[in-house]
Amino acid sequence: MKVIVDPEVCTGHGRCWTNAPDVYTLDSNGYNAVTGVPIDVAPDQEEAARLGARTCPERAITIVED
Amino acid sequence: MTTTERPTGAEENLVTDEAVAESIAKYGRDIYHDFDINDPVFNEKFHDIIDDLVEKCPVARSNAGSGYYVVARQPIVRQVGQDWKTYSSAKGYQPDRPEGLPYLYPEECDPPIHDAWRHALNPFMSPQAVAGFEPVIRQDCNALIDMFIDRGECDFVTDFGAKLPGWAFFKNVMGVPIDDLDKLVESVERGTFEPPEERPRYFAYIFEYLGNYLQDRMKQESKGEMVDMIAAGVKYDDGEMAPFEDRLSVLVDMVFGGIATTTYVMADGMGYLAEHPEQRQRLIDHPELIPRAVEEFARVFPPVVALGRSCTRDVELAGTQLKQDDFVMLCYAASSRDPRVVEDPTTIDIERETVLHSAFGVGPHRCIGSNLARTELRAVFEEWLKRIPKFSRKEGTEPIYETGILRTMKDLHLVW
Repeated sequence: MKVIVDPEVCTGHGRCWTNAPDVYTLDSNGYNAVTGVPIDVAPDQEEAARLGARTCPERAITIVED
Repeated sequence: MTTTERPTGAEENLVTDEAVAESIAKYGRDIYHDFDINDPVFNEKFHDIIDDLVEKCPVARSNAGSGYYVVARQPIVRQVGQDWKTYSSAKGYQPDRPEGLPYLYPEECDPPIHDAWRHALNPFMSPQAVAGFEPVIRQDCNALIDMFIDRGECDFVTDFGAKLPGWAFFKNVMGVPIDDLDKLVESVERGTFEPPEERPRYFAYIFEYLGNYLQDRMKQESKGEMVDMIAAGVKYDDGEMAPFEDRLSVLVDMVFGGIATTTYVMADGMGYLAEHPEQRQRLIDHPELIPRAVEEFARVFPPVVALGRSCTRDVELAGTQLKQDDFVMLCYAASSRDPRVVEDPTTIDIERETVLHSAFGVGPHRCIGSNLARTELRAVFEEWLKRIPKFSRKEGTEPIYETGILRTMKDLHLVW
């Protein structure tokens, strides 16, 4: 599974990072540091990554299933 | 006529003649065609009214003042909040804005000025940055509790809820002298919640105090605090440095946002725990659940009810034709209770795993203090429950609410 964060839509709510700190990384602004490209999700992080996407108030995160 | 991409499933209009008649019977007015955010009935029947708007109405109309529209469903609120080119903040966030009040940046402006300030301000309010404030916030929680714990009772709002966010903000972010805190915090509270005709004199005090403070800090060596960055200013796209008036407006905006809002989430959350001992015990036994409870309290006790945008052009929104300069209120409070995205939204469930809400807004103007607010709220509930695990609402007292574009609570009497 992969996740993609839309750089145009992320505004730094930080819910993804709070729920899945091993998947999403923040820059010094508190916004997603990795955007626009697929991020690999380890199998034991899939649930957390999905929760991070579900709680994004901007709907900035797309889940890509393998 | 121009159109933008429309969200699916959010345009269904259920405002029938029966719905209008029911609204008039329940609220004394037609909330769909004649909404008024300042009507006392909105304060009294707050959740009923926003739930009716979410259920039935894609775009409601208000005839108050010069008139405005209200959107309540989450997909529409998100669409408007994210599309800053069509729905601008440059004419302010409140309908019928008082004349002569300077625009508060970055809240009341658009990119590129907005982005110049946000990029400079964000690092001071990031999760990483506010984590550094947490030890002081916890100490302050305990210092406040020390003042009244032996009395066995307190007015939570006056004695704690109205003080802590101000202390946290002025000490950690602004570095203002501690002796000035009480008057500043009180002025922000009153400038926000007194009747509109009373507010300007509190605003005037805050502008004067913060203007002098900013001048002082400009003369001093930087301590690396947010206020030093504001004092130094940012460069705009035209190559010019932001003028002093803009810097002061940023400082005022941060202060207003940083103080009066968090109090309400804290107070109604504490009131909920006072009346639900089993839920309170769950949090005492499992403090790791407190972050979830904080999200749920932000969802159901939203201090920011609605903020507005101005249309930059004629546009169709969810089936309603809007004209250039029309004002649209984004009802964040309602959007957090939309059954399209929140399961069983009218139930308060402090253990809810997926808490999707709009309490901190949506789009580029997302509350810059959201990370600080969450840290404060978590610290408050953790520290309070350690010190005062059993408490209840004082018999014979009722909480008092005030509601407009912001919602707040007064008089929460707790005993233990």
